[in-house]
Amino acid sequence: MGDYALLYILFAPFAGAIALIFVSNRQAMLVRSIAAGSAFICLLASLYLFYSYDYVKGGFQFVQRFEWSRQLGISLHLGVDGIGTPLVLASAILLFAGIFVSWHIKDRTKEFYIWLLILAAATIGVFMSLDLFFLYFFYEMSVIPMYLLLGMWGSHTKKYNEMTDPEGLKQRDSVGFIFNFGSNSKEYAAMKLVLFLSAFAVAALMGILLIYKYSGLNTFDILVLREQAKLMNIPVLGTTLDKIIWLLIFFGFASIAPLWPLHSWSPVGHAAAPAATSMLHAGVLMKLGHFSIIRVAFEILPETTRELMPIAAVLCMFSIVYGGFVAFYAKDTKYVIGYSSSSHMGYVFLGMAALDYISLTGAVMYMFAHAMATGMLFAMAGWVYDQTHTRDIPSLGGLSNRMPFIYACFVVGCMASIGVPGTVNFIAEVMIIVGSWNKYPFQVIVAVVGIVLTFAYLFKMMRGLFYGPMDQKYSHAHDAVAVVDRLPLLIMITVSIGFFFFPMHLYNVVRSGVDPLIAKITRVVPVALQERDASSVTREARADSSQQNVAALPGDVLRLTPRTSRSDQ
Amino acid sequence: MNFSLTMSPSDLLLLLPEILLTSWLCLILIIDFSFPRLPNEQLAYLSIAGLGATLGCLAWFNITGITGTLFAHMFVLDGMALFFKMFIVGSTILVILASIDYVHRFRFFRGEYYFLIVMSALGMMFMASANDLLSVFVTLEFSTFGFYVLVAYLREDMASNEAGIKFFILGVFAAALLAYGISLVYGETGKLVFSDMKATQATPGLAIGFLLIFGALGFKIGAVPFHSWIPDTYHGSPTPVTAFLSIAPKGAAFAILLRMFFVALATFKPVWILLLVAASILSMTYGNIVAIAQKNMKRLLAYSGIAQIGNVLIGLAAGTKMGSDAILFYLLTYLFANLGAFAIIIAVSEAIGSEEIDDYSGLGRRSPFLAFSMLIFLLSLAGVPPLAGFIGKLYIFVAAMKEGLFTLITVGLINIVISMYYYLIVVKKMYISEPHDPSPLKVSGPIKVVVYVCLAGTLVIGVYPQPFTDWVVSALLMFSNLAGPTASLPVPPAVIPFGG
Repeated sequence: MGDYALLYILFAPFAGAIALIFVSNRQAMLVRSIAAGSAFICLLASLYLFYSYDYVKGGFQFVQRFEWSRQLGISLHLGVDGIGTPLVLASAILLFAGIFVSWHIKDRTKEFYIWLLILAAATIGVFMSLDLFFLYFFYEMSVIPMYLLLGMWGSHTKKYNEMTDPEGLKQRDSVGFIFNFGSNSKEYAAMKLVLFLSAFAVAALMGILLIYKYSGLNTFDILVLREQAKLMNIPVLGTTLDKIIWLLIFFGFASIAPLWPLHSWSPVGHAAAPAATSMLHAGVLMKLGHFSIIRVAFEILPETTRELMPIAAVLCMFSIVYGGFVAFYAKDTKYVIGYSSSSHMGYVFLGMAALDYISLTGAVMYMFAHAMATGMLFAMAGWVYDQTHTRDIPSLGGLSNRMPFIYACFVVGCMASIGVPGTVNFIAEVMIIVGSWNKYPFQVIVAVVGIVLTFAYLFKMMRGLFYGPMDQKYSHAHDAVAVVDRLPLLIMITVSIGFFFFPMHLYNVVRSGVDPLIAKITRVVPVALQERDASSVTREARADSSQQNVAALPGDVLRLTPRTSRSDQ
Repeated sequence: MNFSLTMSPSDLLLLLPEILLTSWLCLILIIDFSFPRLPNEQLAYLSIAGLGATLGCLAWFNITGITGTLFAHMFVLDGMALFFKMFIVGSTILVILASIDYVHRFRFFRGEYYFLIVMSALGMMFMASANDLLSVFVTLEFSTFGFYVLVAYLREDMASNEAGIKFFILGVFAAALLAYGISLVYGETGKLVFSDMKATQATPGLAIGFLLIFGALGFKIGAVPFHSWIPDTYHGSPTPVTAFLSIAPKGAAFAILLRMFFVALATFKPVWILLLVAASILSMTYGNIVAIAQKNMKRLLAYSGIAQIGNVLIGLAAGTKMGSDAILFYLLTYLFANLGAFAIIIAVSEAIGSEEIDDYSGLGRRSPFLAFSMLIFLLSLAGVPPLAGFIGKLYIFVAAMKEGLFTLITVGLINIVISMYYYLIVVKKMYISEPHDPSPLKVSGPIKVVVYVCLAGTLVIGVYPQPFTDWVVSALLMFSNLAGPTASLPVPPAVIPFGG
């Protein structure tokens, strides 16, 4: 495989989806094997990618570049750095696990796997795009499969099913359905998700187009843009252009993350989605937001990032606390996990906002860790729903006798989600907290309160599901016994625990991606300072961040790099 | 005006596609009259053979690069004309294939149906070559003439008759506008050929004249505020005619619009850019918002077509070589997506006799092939990657972005989201709602061919657009002297030079 690893990872699921088109739905076993086979190739290749990524060298590796459109300056430019690599691995693991989690889907199995594979491939595509166009291309491509997966194989909420009056039916399909909070049908959830994400995606597209225009380089290539784009100090509308672009990019991508005021599509979507989709959705799709912000805003607009990233530091507190409280009061298992995910994504924003080596490394590791934890929880919530046909926590209880294996896994999943020592989440959380303490002590306190909240709502849910008296109507519920049912959970548990005991490779890989980025962001000082010390300025070309050995940089922060002087170079 | 009709054989060569098609037209008519028992499929395939030969001839011209002008610059054959001629002939072939089943609904004049379609195509081919105001008028009326009859072809159907009357009255009104506009322009400039008008002075008469001409062409493409005929006419016409009407005349009209704005009015760009921006914003917003409330597939596509034309006008407003490239590319993607969607409407209405969106419930179970194809076409129209429509929209936006048309792009992007809603409503009906009647649908062979061709076009252009962008760029080499991406970057503030 070698250099072509990225192509295998990206195109194996696509090839699987295309192969599935030609298989009949009646051969259910063949359909599943093709899906599992292509996911397995993808997983193998991404394991190879993860372990052969050279963190000493750092930078973008496994780069592939194909000219795609000369007129528009687009090329299919693929490559991963230390930030993309673990996320590609997480996507591949969750895809492989997701295929087994949805093993028992009877209705239109083939179509389900086609859309699931396309969804995963599109997600993976974002993590390896080095071209703004393809980043957006894959990003937007992941939205439509979500619509179909939610709509066709999803489930309504309890309240919706109770709404049987004809007027209610009419209300559900009305144009003004967006404001119809009473009934969260799966159609509503799917449409809300698509419209919400598309609306913010086009904002990000506007930002991308502005970068394209004002860089004047006639290219969408991130590597070229980050070195050559001169977007600073262009006045527009009373502010500067780079700020407008940054805000468009940040909020455009933060909607999928989901940052606090933009989160409302996400729990509804999680609740309606089938288990495997929820896993991919919460596990990796939400990370597209953070990842795209890092890839576009951090890489191309480092100075603006330093200036405006406190916005994220403020909003992430609301994410953490709000998500936590709603999760505590929610009565639907998937709502609890959904809100817990959006609360936990606040930690990632905190880690990003601090712009510190440790905290950003922690944030990226947390994305990976959270993918495993939330994947487990959603898989088990899906199993419980399949067995009992309800997600209503108060009506459930006492399931620990019926399903001991699921119960045991659930405990591990909760521990992982909380970040108890023993799971990789712990390492990541500690790194975020330690790393951002200097800059945002208040936010760190809020984050610690958030961990307490996580304890509270996950234990509350665990108690509701597994302890106490059991309703007799659930006595037919049974445990996950077959290998296909246990395999996905065991994979995710192994990964989550394994990386706690052997975190160094993950840490080194992530760190190799974070270092040049943070170095680039933090080493440029405000213009005012430059003018004062103009005489002592060491004139230096733009930080060639990808190639430099930046280990010694933290003390180097005050070295001045006057960006304004580039025109006379 | 010095006018000579001495034609050399090489001049005749330029007219070869039109001559070929004209003689084929006569052949169709003669065969139709001579063999009244001939099954009309045969006649359809005969027309397709003629159109195919014409397409081959055009492709040969395109490869060998045969270009030139005729009749004192009234008729011009350049890369753009060739592109639009192939566009028109290609869409005509697909429309005829799609109508083979539908024709059984006509009680009379089945043979003439093909004759009229091919005749309109011939008129539009001349439109693509029209290079002066007189030939614009003549060719435009020639092509519309066939449509007046075609729209009202379902004689027993009141809706079809209403569509015919509406189309006719408004069409004649547009023709009057066009004639008046032409007379004003001629009165002011004394010139008819577009390329001669380059340096004319701006006068109120000229402005009004061109405004009137734009109105007539706006009627053809269905841009707001000249769109009022579109919904009813699309709804009432026989579906293949609607499909034809939604594609080919728009292509031909854009050929004229491009020549008019980019050649004749190139110097007045700051003026007409406002007109186009306004028309574009209105078309996109109106089309998309009204489409939300539609219950009928054809009406939905009618309003979505108005919105799509708003998108194309963004490219025209950019006023650059890249903008014109983007227009051609966009129309190409629109051809496949729109014709494919109409082919499926025909297939569904043949099977269940309804064009209401509600009757598409459960199509995903009744006919996975049709539902999946419809999904692809609608998503392409909405502009979702990796489909052709997305690349088309992006091309247009990039072209406009280079000219700094920020308002227009913002409105365009917001409209993408609005349009997503109503396209997904159809997707929801097809895939999520349960069918009223679960019996599977049968799809006839010719329609399948059309759907496959359109699917291939939509997917291939979406995944690998390079050959197609190369084609449109080379087709429009004549515009390469236009002001390219202007160097109007805001000047960065004065830099503080550091010592040395």
